[in-house]
Amino acid sequence: MKIAGIEYPALAPVEAACHRARIAENRIVAEGIMRLTLECADLARALEPGQFVNVAVGGEPRQLARIPLSFVATQAQEGLVHIVYALLGPGTRRLARILEGEELDVLGPLGHGWRLDEGAARVLLVSGGTGTVPVYAAAVWCHRHGIAFDAVVGARHRELHWAVDRLRERTSGDVVVTTDDGSLGERGFATGPALRLMGERAYDLVLACGPEPLMQTVSARATELGIPCQVSMERTMACGFGACSTCAVKTTGGMKGACKAGPVFDAREVIW
Amino acid sequence: MSEATMPAMAVDLGGIKMGNPINTASGTYGQGWQFEGFYDVGLLGAITTKGCSAEPWEGNPQPRMTDVFGGMMNSVGLQNPGVRSFVEECGEYLAHLQERGCQVICQVAGHSVGEYVRAVELFEELAPWAAGLEINISCPNIAQGGCAMGSTPEGASEVIAAVRPRTKRPLLVKMAPERVVEVARALEAAGADALTVINSIPAMAIDVHTRRSKLSRPTGGLSGPVLHNIALRMVWEAHRAVSLPICGVGGITSGEDAAEFILAGATAVSVGSQNLFEPASAPRILDELVDWVASQGVRDVNELIGAVEC
Repeated sequence: MKIAGIEYPALAPVEAACHRARIAENRIVAEGIMRLTLECADLARALEPGQFVNVAVGGEPRQLARIPLSFVATQAQEGLVHIVYALLGPGTRRLARILEGEELDVLGPLGHGWRLDEGAARVLLVSGGTGTVPVYAAAVWCHRHGIAFDAVVGARHRELHWAVDRLRERTSGDVVVTTDDGSLGERGFATGPALRLMGERAYDLVLACGPEPLMQTVSARATELGIPCQVSMERTMACGFGACSTCAVKTTGGMKGACKAGPVFDAREVIW
Repeated sequence: MSEATMPAMAVDLGGIKMGNPINTASGTYGQGWQFEGFYDVGLLGAITTKGCSAEPWEGNPQPRMTDVFGGMMNSVGLQNPGVRSFVEECGEYLAHLQERGCQVICQVAGHSVGEYVRAVELFEELAPWAAGLEINISCPNIAQGGCAMGSTPEGASEVIAAVRPRTKRPLLVKMAPERVVEVARALEAAGADALTVINSIPAMAIDVHTRRSKLSRPTGGLSGPVLHNIALRMVWEAHRAVSLPICGVGGITSGEDAAEFILAGATAVSVGSQNLFEPASAPRILDELVDWVASQGVRDVNELIGAVEC
């Protein structure tokens, strides 16, 4: 981007904007999990899997910063962005009370998403908790491009059943579920089945998002096996466009913002 | 507004000639260029860049930010690449921004008097375009330096007396929200040209479920609208205590908030956290401020500085 007519090779302001997006749907899909569908043609066209938007909720004095939200899918032709979010605090609880038909101030597209390769033969997707949302967007991409994938989805409780059923519809591969309490699938963390699958099958790419111990373990194994691995780093952040330094990730190339250089990083770059 | 009714908005912040009173608070504004996708940064009176030290600093561990009532808390800890890399990366842009009419104030960080001196020397050598330097003696998120030096008149004046002979450029001091009157008097005596009042307020937030701090450190810096009226009182106190011009900072979200600071005695104001929540807030606040000045029936914003009637 040129700034006042001059190109600065080292500087790249975000090419994001604040959009007024009408809420087409904002409803509960599982305990503590909401699905939010926004009508916004620009975002539906521009968002790539693994990117995010920053939503201003308004009306909640404990949430003045925007809320960074990942999306599960976009429908470019219909101009729809499908977001899934967890009720984690006053801001998301306020968002859950905003009615269909109202408008939201949505900043995006933000961040670098998954670097996806149409030549991949088989991909492993690993997620834990709300990390399932950006991973799901990668699954949608794989499905659209005819790429086979296996998925391991970890959750505390059975709240992610909505994702599991839909992932199974999108792949002939395995979708393994783990829950901390054993209420769905295997009891335990996603780490075990992910390592097991990496030992059993050949993958061209591993994508992971979830708790850092999960991503660290999975990416270490992928690196040992010589499989390219990308991780999406979750951080609290105030701006989403590189101005505040709150969401920094320590990398081999120095401190980098999860909002702009990430949230998706090459796993070899991250210093855990 | 026609040009005939447009009030004069230029102000002089301790030798920094600003086209209008709107500045940005260091740490909420990157190095300026991050906002160029949202609006023409050259419209602002000044920007203050992220604090920079002589050597690179990694900053604090995660998490560094949490939402709180009426604002946010951070514990970034002045992560920065060091003056040399800072100038290499964006010096050309900042020099051009200065030519575009926006004054570029570079914030200086250090852990010790010697580190502040070294950083100022590097800015002198590498950043001749800078309109002024803001010495940050009040960061609440670093173990040494920062608040520890800026909270007492002795500590504050020691830093400023040491850096003063190293630069002829306007020297601003970012003050801690403590002992404002005494520290302001000490800074005036030590040779500061202007005061930035105030930095974020040391504060605490606890996750009651995990019983841990919501930040990686026990405390962090509170910013946002919640501290506006505290900052306003401190600007008013500092203005009555010293003759130095003041840049008022704290929870500005509107032209009216900015106007309050000017009436309390601020020559300029900095938009802080609102830059993060609403990327194009600073030019909106400028427009609202111009409207307010015009509504007061004065021809020049300078007539309103300190004009509060108490």
